[in-house]
Amino acid sequence: MNAPVDERLAALRGSAKRLDYNARSLAALQNNPRCTLRALLDASGSDKAAIAAHAGHPSPFGQSVFALARGNAFETMVKDNGCAELVRVLRETLQLTLPEVGYEDLNNVGGDGRAAVRHDRTAQVLLQAARGDGDGTLFDHPMLRLRVGGHEAFLEPDLVAFRIDGRFHIVEIKSFPILDGQADPTQVRAATTQACAYIIALRDLLARAGIDGQAVSDTVVLVAPKDFTNRPTAAFVDARKQVAALSRQLSRIERIGDLVDLVPEGLTFDLDLDEEQRPRRPAGELTASLDRVLVTYRPDCLNHCEMAFYCRSRARAEASLDVLGPVVREQFGGIDTTTMVMGLAHGELQPSEAQSEMADALRHAARLRAELEGLGGAA
Amino acid sequence: MSILSALAHVQAMESMRAVPLTEYRHRRLSGRPLVIVPLAMAGEAGAPLAAMVGSSRRTGTLLVVPQPRNRDQRFAFAAGLGRIVVDYIDSFRHNRRGEDERSLYTDAPQVLVPNPGGVKALADLGRMCRFRSTSGPHAVPDVVPEFGMWLTFLVDRAEQAGTSLLLPVTRMLAEHWATGQSTLEDQNLASLMAWISPPAGLSVEQAMAEAENPDVCPPAGPTTSPEFDNRDLAPAIRRFDTARALGDPRALATAESDLRELIAGQIQPTWRMVWEAISLLRSVREAPQTARRFERDCAAFTRYSDDRDAGGLPQRKRDTAISAARRLSRLERALADFESETAFDDRFVRADRRSAGEAFAGTVVETESGRTVTTAKNRRVPRPRVTVRTEDPVRLVADTRLISPSMPAGHKAVIVSVLPDGDATLVVVEVTGGMGRSVAPKPGTVPELGQSIDYLPDPGWRPEPRFPASDHTPWTHSAGPDGPDIESAVPEDAAAEEWGNDD
Ligand code: SF4
Repeated sequence: MNAPVDERLAALRGSAKRLDYNARSLAALQNNPRCTLRALLDASGSDKAAIAAHAGHPSPFGQSVFALARGNAFETMVKDNGCAELVRVLRETLQLTLPEVGYEDLNNVGGDGRAAVRHDRTAQVLLQAARGDGDGTLFDHPMLRLRVGGHEAFLEPDLVAFRIDGRFHIVEIKSFPILDGQADPTQVRAATTQACAYIIALRDLLARAGIDGQAVSDTVVLVAPKDFTNRPTAAFVDARKQVAALSRQLSRIERIGDLVDLVPEGLTFDLDLDEEQRPRRPAGELTASLDRVLVTYRPDCLNHCEMAFYCRSRARAEASLDVLGPVVREQFGGIDTTTMVMGLAHGELQPSEAQSEMADALRHAARLRAELEGLGGAA
Repeated sequence: MSILSALAHVQAMESMRAVPLTEYRHRRLSGRPLVIVPLAMAGEAGAPLAAMVGSSRRTGTLLVVPQPRNRDQRFAFAAGLGRIVVDYIDSFRHNRRGEDERSLYTDAPQVLVPNPGGVKALADLGRMCRFRSTSGPHAVPDVVPEFGMWLTFLVDRAEQAGTSLLLPVTRMLAEHWATGQSTLEDQNLASLMAWISPPAGLSVEQAMAEAENPDVCPPAGPTTSPEFDNRDLAPAIRRFDTARALGDPRALATAESDLRELIAGQIQPTWRMVWEAISLLRSVREAPQTARRFERDCAAFTRYSDDRDAGGLPQRKRDTAISAARRLSRLERALADFESETAFDDRFVRADRRSAGEAFAGTVVETESGRTVTTAKNRRVPRPRVTVRTEDPVRLVADTRLISPSMPAGHKAVIVSVLPDGDATLVVVEVTGGMGRSVAPKPGTVPELGQSIDYLPDPGWRPEPRFPASDHTPWTHSAGPDGPDIESAVPEDAAAEEWGNDD
């Protein structure tokens, strides 16, 4: 990445502290890869939640203490006694023949919890294992590193297991249940997408030491509570497609320069925080800056992106069909706004050649609806 | 979705109010539904936190699990809720019509929950309860497995299109009204109601904003808002735990009533809103064929009820390959039937199909009403032909069988040809049924010149697909050791009985 691009990104973020990518924000890339605003906010390391709040649209995400506590308690239980429960599950449920287990705690290095230190130690033991010396097979919270858009992002998987099938496997420990052999597909997908970032980062680590990426499996081991109990069970999840998709997103980030070039000179998302972390920048000015960047809002953003309420209100103000979601949108081909739809439906707008077929259908539909409403049949 | 329904959503967005999508309500609404508003604890798989239940707005019972992680409290809750639900269901198991074996109950229960998440919460609860043992070290009250089995029955039935034994009210509302928001937001009861019937004195915009503010409109569940969890619920549960640990009955009683009050504050707004939604839905006329679908509900209810009386086993955890295939085929047929029945009954739904070219309406411009043909059995039968001119974008082809809501019952026809005529289309239709037994059709059974007429495809009678009996399944398709029938007879192992974290 060239310096000017980096400088422009720094200017977008302004005086705020840089937030690095993490597994969650990398995973979120997949949800709306075409969105310019999101790409710029993430690449510049801006604090989306703070920006959304100051723009008058606080992010819809909070996390319940109950969910956190449950997640932590479950992970602790699985890893207790050198991962005794985990080993049992790997052997019994996944029927893996594990050699004797060597558990390696990488949560800190002799009490030092700094990311860089932990990363060095992680690199050391994982490379040893890969080269066949060292007896580690389960690595608890290794610290991986990935360069994203020219910046280091530290990534911390729950666990990496070695020598399942002679390869490294990412183990994701989640507290949603596998109920009668099935888990909620959206939750599995979210877990797998996160794991993809770890797979890529681990391959990167090995590649730097000249070890082939094949040493890291595309299959993720999902460990989760069995039914409504506290006991874990496990399942293999094939992440091949998602790894490929995330790799594509990562290379797009490398081309962030193309997007930055389109940003008007002098634009910034800076909140100009005072000592107490209160924004000093007038909210109207911030919104005006946000408004100048392209977004591709869709209702699914409400599940994934901190900016969702802002983008939704903007889409509403523009009478954009994005508000209604892709199912409605796709009925209207290339049309963007409700104004346009109504104009074509009532024959007040002249359709372009490409729109003419759809405009016919639309006028027909509008006629039918007018007839029905005339009947006044419905309440 | 067709362009017509899509347009309805655009109209709603433009006019900032909900617009009707159908002429009728196609779901039966019981005169005495049982509303359940379930709440569950965040992060804990299906751990119930509370429920409000009752069959009228004024008689709601609030049940609370003060410590959702405690197994005994969970089962006390399941038993309490179970008794109410099972009593309600039993109250429909009295009047039967018809002769002995084939007699059916004349009415059936209807459980309504706020949203699809509510159905999931009941499914989880059903799964938790139905295998519980009523004897031994982890004994639960008799009603618990009974309740679990009934819930599972209701949830299974709810998968089938057009049924009405268990429904989320958001779905009933969204079937009838189009809003100017997305399907995702339509699953939020308060947001949906904001479009259809905003609270007095509020605009739709204001009501929508309030609907998403958990302090004004607590979420309709099953999970509570994180703000509420962190700010109110967690400390209240902690106070309850402390009081219990200290064995202080006064403090315990206070802590418990505080908790109830907190939860009541979260659940009551939803409770009221569900009943408001119900009265709104009552104001929509019920579609004619809803009664027929309800018959099928009564039949399913009767069958399951008899199975319970015969001491049937809990439903298995996973379908076998055969029962999965059978279920899938049943669901597909039910969906096709439901789509066709609603289109037959409802001009709005029909317009929807017309805009997609799957049905048409027009004027009869030519008739050949005396036409007859001679069958292979050498019988002369009437086969009148009529030409319908329509402006609909017809995509049906020759030989499509048709039915018509504009003609007397039993009318059947088939498309002979579809030809463009300027901006319109001419469809030649041959009438094949519903004309009586003689060579001359009964009066009024053949469309007349100048008559307006609607046609749509006949889903027709299809034979029940046949599936091999379970013991003939090739081994490649049989359920693993996970799913044999006997399994449902034995309660789960002790480890699985530990349903909770504490104690
Ligand atoms: S919410 Fe807005 S910024 Fe976030 S991904 Fe969606 S459109 Fe982009």
